[in-house]
Amino acid sequence: MENMIEIKNISKSYHVVKKGEGIKGALKGLVKKEVKVIPAVSNLNFNIKKGEIVGFIGPNGAGKSTTIKMMSGILTPSSGEILIGGKNVKTHRKEVVQNIGVVFGQRSQLNWDLRLGESFELLRHIYRIDKTSFDEMIDTMDEILGIKELQDKPVRQMSLGQRVKGDLVAAMLHSPDVLFLDEPTIGLDISSKYALRKFVKEINEKRGTTIILTTHDLGDIEQLCSRLIIINNGKLVEDGNLEEIVDDIAPYKTLVVEYYDEQIPQHEKCEIISTEGNVAKYRFFKKEITAAKLIEDLGKQKAIKDVSIEEASIDDIIRIAYEGR
Amino acid sequence: MKECVKNQKNEKFNTYLQVYKMQIIRSLTYKFDVYGNIIMQSIIMLASAFFWKALYAGNDSVQGVGVSDMMVYTVVSSMISVVLTTNVERRISNSVSKGTIAIDMMRPVDIYKVFFAENLAGVTTLIFQNLLPILLIGSIFIGVPVPASKEAFLLFVLSLFMSFCINWFIAVIFGMFSFKVIEMDALIQVKKHLIRLLSGSIIPVWFFPESIKNILSFLPFVYLYQLPLDIYIGKYDSASLTKGLIMQALWVVVLYLMFRFFKKKAEDKVMIQGG
Ligand SMILES: Nc1ncnc2c1ncn2[C@@H]1O[C@H](COP(=O)(O)OP(=O)(O)OP(=O)(O)O)[C@@H](O)[C@H]1O
Ligand SMILES: [Mg+2]
Repeated sequence: MENMIEIKNISKSYHVVKKGEGIKGALKGLVKKEVKVIPAVSNLNFNIKKGEIVGFIGPNGAGKSTTIKMMSGILTPSSGEILIGGKNVKTHRKEVVQNIGVVFGQRSQLNWDLRLGESFELLRHIYRIDKTSFDEMIDTMDEILGIKELQDKPVRQMSLGQRVKGDLVAAMLHSPDVLFLDEPTIGLDISSKYALRKFVKEINEKRGTTIILTTHDLGDIEQLCSRLIIINNGKLVEDGNLEEIVDDIAPYKTLVVEYYDEQIPQHEKCEIISTEGNVAKYRFFKKEITAAKLIEDLGKQKAIKDVSIEEASIDDIIRIAYEGR
Repeated sequence: MKECVKNQKNEKFNTYLQVYKMQIIRSLTYKFDVYGNIIMQSIIMLASAFFWKALYAGNDSVQGVGVSDMMVYTVVSSMISVVLTTNVERRISNSVSKGTIAIDMMRPVDIYKVFFAENLAGVTTLIFQNLLPILLIGSIFIGVPVPASKEAFLLFVLSLFMSFCINWFIAVIFGMFSFKVIEMDALIQVKKHLIRLLSGSIIPVWFFPESIKNILSFLPFVYLYQLPLDIYIGKYDSASLTKGLIMQALWVVVLYLMFRFFKKKAEDKVMIQGG
């Protein structure tokens, strides 16, 4: 399948000039500048195929939002290039922005003083969407998010969840092939989160929209993302599907066996990490032996009363990935 | 993307007209400062009228301007101040400080045309909410501001249009300053009072000393109020008219070029800094 997004060795550092306050500060700023360089992203490379849902995750300050902004044409990279639908974001900005939608969970793009429907109508003119496709899109969105009941409500009177729904629809109106969602679930309650996830799944299935989302919510990742890209300190640390990453970071499992007495048998393919009375914990590598075989072997040596298997949780995996092992 | 090209053919879009319409809806939702503005403007207008009447006491004419012309001047000046209302510097500084400027710029539109359309919409509502009431109050208490002649009125409209442009470009350039300074409010105030004082909006420039008058004729401010007002009351001859209109047009061009220059810089800055 073709690549929808190609990130070629991009880096970005911010140059922060200390801003002065008032007139004096303004004049001072014109004369001498104190510049501080803050590296945000360095030498990032990845491709995203058409129709993928990618979780773009990393700890606070990792450079996720910076990367999303660069991909959506809001920021220019300090070096490297970004292609979306084969077009360079920097040189074909106008065409690229017609083909992408962006939602920032933290700030709305809707017009505070207008009713939601009026905001949409304005966007219809900005993106030059004809009335039929516009109405069709609103209908589709209404099925997924129930947006029509909100159309007459002024945006400033909306709850966070309603506003995010409005933002999602606003980002989809011009039928973009790519949708960037930067922490869309932040601050949402369970049912709004559920609606958002449903939205992501459905537009991905029905329209084949390629979706990149950043989130700190593990539920989002588990339920939505076929692929994860993890960055830390502006660098790529992991890229693959969830299971691959789990296998890579935590290639072992722990088998907990309870026997009838305190005589604990050993096994050559695993190591005992702890024993407590008649309970033993064996750590084994998934590649070397299966849990079933292990239980069978151990059971031949001693009668087993009970077993359970411990796996690293997604939480742990991601924390380990963030901390860079 | 192919779809979009097709869309453009099926329906004619006037994006900026839509922005204009929506902005009118928006400005109608905020009614609260309408009356305050009318009252303030009327007080300033009436106070100046009485002030000038007192000053003229016994004199038919000062600097070749009669007292009735001075009354017209006062009323029309108040009306011009409504037309020259602009919010664009706050619009820009707000989106810079809120960090939405980058998103605004991402849309496939010229953001400055959007600002301009919004400004026109603002002025349109103000014409009904402020200008007409002021005209009414002025006509009742001071006198109906009749232009010197039909020709004067037409030239006035032309000159006022250029004033509008000058005013707008100054405001936009000013707004772009917010990329450099956090606290814009003080600067906006300074600019406002500077314009009040130097543009002839309250005190006609004729009353200034010759040397200052000369200096002012090279600055853009007198082309905001003084020139259109002079034309309205017929205080011009063909030489001063030509010179004035040429200078005014020059300022439109100069400020436009400055605007283009700063616009490019501001865009680069947003794209590099993310606002
Ligand atoms: N406009 C800016 N000016 C200066 N530095 C910035 C700017 N925006 C981000 N940074 C810095 O760049 C780095 C990456 O920030 P970014 O917002 O991309 O992180 P993030 O991964 O989105 O974090 P979070 O999970 O907290 O949203 C941080 O060190 C941040 O302080
Ligand atoms: Mg972020």
